[in-house]
Amino acid sequence: MIILTKIKSINWQAIRENKLYRRFASLKTSVILLGILIGFYIVGTIFPQGGQIDDYIKAGGRFTPFVIFFNLLNIFTAPGFLLIALLLFINLFICTVERFLLLLNQRANRADGLEFIPAYTFPLDINRQLEDAHGSIKEIFIKDLGFKAYPYHEETALIDGSARIVEKGWSYKWLTWGYHLAILFCFFGFLLTYLFSFEDEIILYPGEAAAIKPATISRWNKSWGHQPQELDFKLQLDEFITEYNQFPVLDYPNDKLSRLAMAMGWNEPKYFVKNESYFPKDWKSRLKVIEGNKTVLEKTIEVNDPLYYHGTTFYQAAYKQNLKIQVDDNPILLETDTDNELMIPGIEGMFRFGTIKTGTLFKKDGSQEKIKSFVDATLVKKDSAGKTETEKIGKLEQDGSLIVDNKKIILKEVKEASILSYRSDPGVPILWWAGVMALLAMSLRVFGAWYRIIYRIEEREDTPYLSFTIKTKGLMADEEKLIRRLKHLLENMTEPIDLDTPV
Amino acid sequence: MPNLEAILSRDAYLLSVEIKLFWFVALLYGTCLILHLIHLITRKPGPGRLGTNMLWGAVIMHAGLILLRTFEGQRAPFQTLYESLSWFAWSASATYLYVGRKWKDIYLSGILVSALSMGACLYALLARSPAVEPLSPPLQSYWFEWHVVLAFLSYAVFVVSCSIEIVYLMIKPSLKKGFNTEYGLHINNLEIFHKQSFRLALFGFPLLTFGIFSGAAWANDAWGRYWGWDPKETWSLITWTMFAMYLHSMSIPKWKELPASVFNILGFICMLMTFIGVNWLARLLGIPSLHLYAM
Repeated sequence: MIILTKIKSINWQAIRENKLYRRFASLKTSVILLGILIGFYIVGTIFPQGGQIDDYIKAGGRFTPFVIFFNLLNIFTAPGFLLIALLLFINLFICTVERFLLLLNQRANRADGLEFIPAYTFPLDINRQLEDAHGSIKEIFIKDLGFKAYPYHEETALIDGSARIVEKGWSYKWLTWGYHLAILFCFFGFLLTYLFSFEDEIILYPGEAAAIKPATISRWNKSWGHQPQELDFKLQLDEFITEYNQFPVLDYPNDKLSRLAMAMGWNEPKYFVKNESYFPKDWKSRLKVIEGNKTVLEKTIEVNDPLYYHGTTFYQAAYKQNLKIQVDDNPILLETDTDNELMIPGIEGMFRFGTIKTGTLFKKDGSQEKIKSFVDATLVKKDSAGKTETEKIGKLEQDGSLIVDNKKIILKEVKEASILSYRSDPGVPILWWAGVMALLAMSLRVFGAWYRIIYRIEEREDTPYLSFTIKTKGLMADEEKLIRRLKHLLENMTEPIDLDTPV
Repeated sequence: MPNLEAILSRDAYLLSVEIKLFWFVALLYGTCLILHLIHLITRKPGPGRLGTNMLWGAVIMHAGLILLRTFEGQRAPFQTLYESLSWFAWSASATYLYVGRKWKDIYLSGILVSALSMGACLYALLARSPAVEPLSPPLQSYWFEWHVVLAFLSYAVFVVSCSIEIVYLMIKPSLKKGFNTEYGLHINNLEIFHKQSFRLALFGFPLLTFGIFSGAAWANDAWGRYWGWDPKETWSLITWTMFAMYLHSMSIPKWKELPASVFNILGFICMLMTFIGVNWLARLLGIPSLHLYAM
């Protein structure tokens, strides 16, 4: 109550007349702030965002002091950027409020600020009194052309005592205001994301139910000293599915002259299938959500089709592959992840493995084939000068073997785990709705059609004349077409006359 | 079931036809460019008219080429940069022809459009692989077609808007001094011609907005983040912001002349950066991008 009284006692008019307020209510300020933001955006595409300064220095970065001082590797959370974004928000807010007040005022006084300068004049060669002509013209505008003459127009829309206003279509001013308001809501969504979102990753092995303990926390909770909380449900991966398309390799030259020669028909492109002709088709995880000991939800997720549960969304992000190697008849198996290198005793160098191909292959001829799991192996050696040499060893199939330095290497087992990223972001629903509203209002404003006609019927030498002016907005608004229709309707109303009277 | 060898040789044959046709289309765009340049130098409408008519031929043939590519890939033909460049060239020229269909003897804006179309085709043919690739998992989304088609439509519209803006800036000083430029433009129709530039940018802006919005919604589904400040995303935001500056400037009396024109041209440059330049920038600076398939 006290707050309300205080708000009521504020002299809003004085604030609105304040110089700084007027500056923020200006369109010029919007353009300038947008221009400054562009500067920040460009810097953000030059310096790798989210990177570490050590990596920047290692990569040969030459502006280290500058980068550190201006926090250029995290420019979009730097105070300078946030300040400009805040100023733009204030600018947008004030402009939206001001425009709202203006539109409300115009709604009450629709004729305010309008001038009547006729652009068209048609004679109404009918044997009626002027009063009748008024009625007939209004009927044409409202019934035949779909215009609206609001009730209060009778009192307020008269200009010079006799002109009237009719309008058709969604008001472009309200639509413009609407999408600016929606953009303001988008800012609110961004703020929620900035303050309350958190994300992390989880690795799931088939058959295991894993608790979800985020290592990160939202900015808001962090600022209050809270610790990350384990989620109140578990996830179980029942199966991880990988699918590949057979992808023929194209034999096509790289140099420009050979390509030109191919265009002249001196050579033809060729497709052929090689061992490595595998193109990822899909990765899927069959998941169960477990609360206590009960499965509450089952879903197979894939890229573009995540799992939503209790405000957290789980995405198919990647996968992890692991293999076990037997060397000769040694019963102890060597285990490694495919993204790590493996040292095998007795063999000089380090083994490096590519992606294990496993799952289903969808072939070009329409058939499907269960892939016999295999991996490409290479050996990386360093000479005395420290120079690295890579030697392709070959394709190692499940239970198959390769001989390297007289040692038999057998692929005994392959295992895949699904890597899911998960994220909680309360800003998304607001952004979704605000974005749709902004797009809708913007599309109606730009592509739609809005007309305003100010007209007057006057008598000259015993003949009534219709004088009017048209204002249109929106790309679909067609003034010429409207005039043609109006002419046609007037012709039907009157005795045949020539309506092509010059303006 | 069809034999694999037969499928591969059929695909290779179709690709060979496609490549030859694509070269021919690029050649047509090049000829259009030369004719438009002759029009610029000689000031006669004949070469310009011939160039525009030839551009119709190129666009019709290019439409056939895109249909052939769709048939080859059995999907929308704008996955790789090779395909996107082809789509960009076609949509820019087609938009230009549609917008300019009622212009009488005004051909100058065709210079930029045909130059860009030819450049895009040559870049695709000389520097990109024409292999038809299957859709990778992130691209298998209902957003794919909408996002790309509408974003590219906005690009096409911005190309034509910029070409009109440049012609306006070139011609206006001469007309103001009272010279007859003989390019179909005179003091009475210059402003009407120039207004097309604003209307086109106005048309393209919601499309670009939809492109960014759909991209964010798609990224949210695929990667769990609606916005990651990826270079491509950021440059699309720069383009959007620049056109927002342009459209707002048109409401400021003092800025609606030269400053607005400059913003419109800068918006076009930003659009080119978003489409092509950012790939080069990301590679040059070693910045990882989630839009690798478009590089």
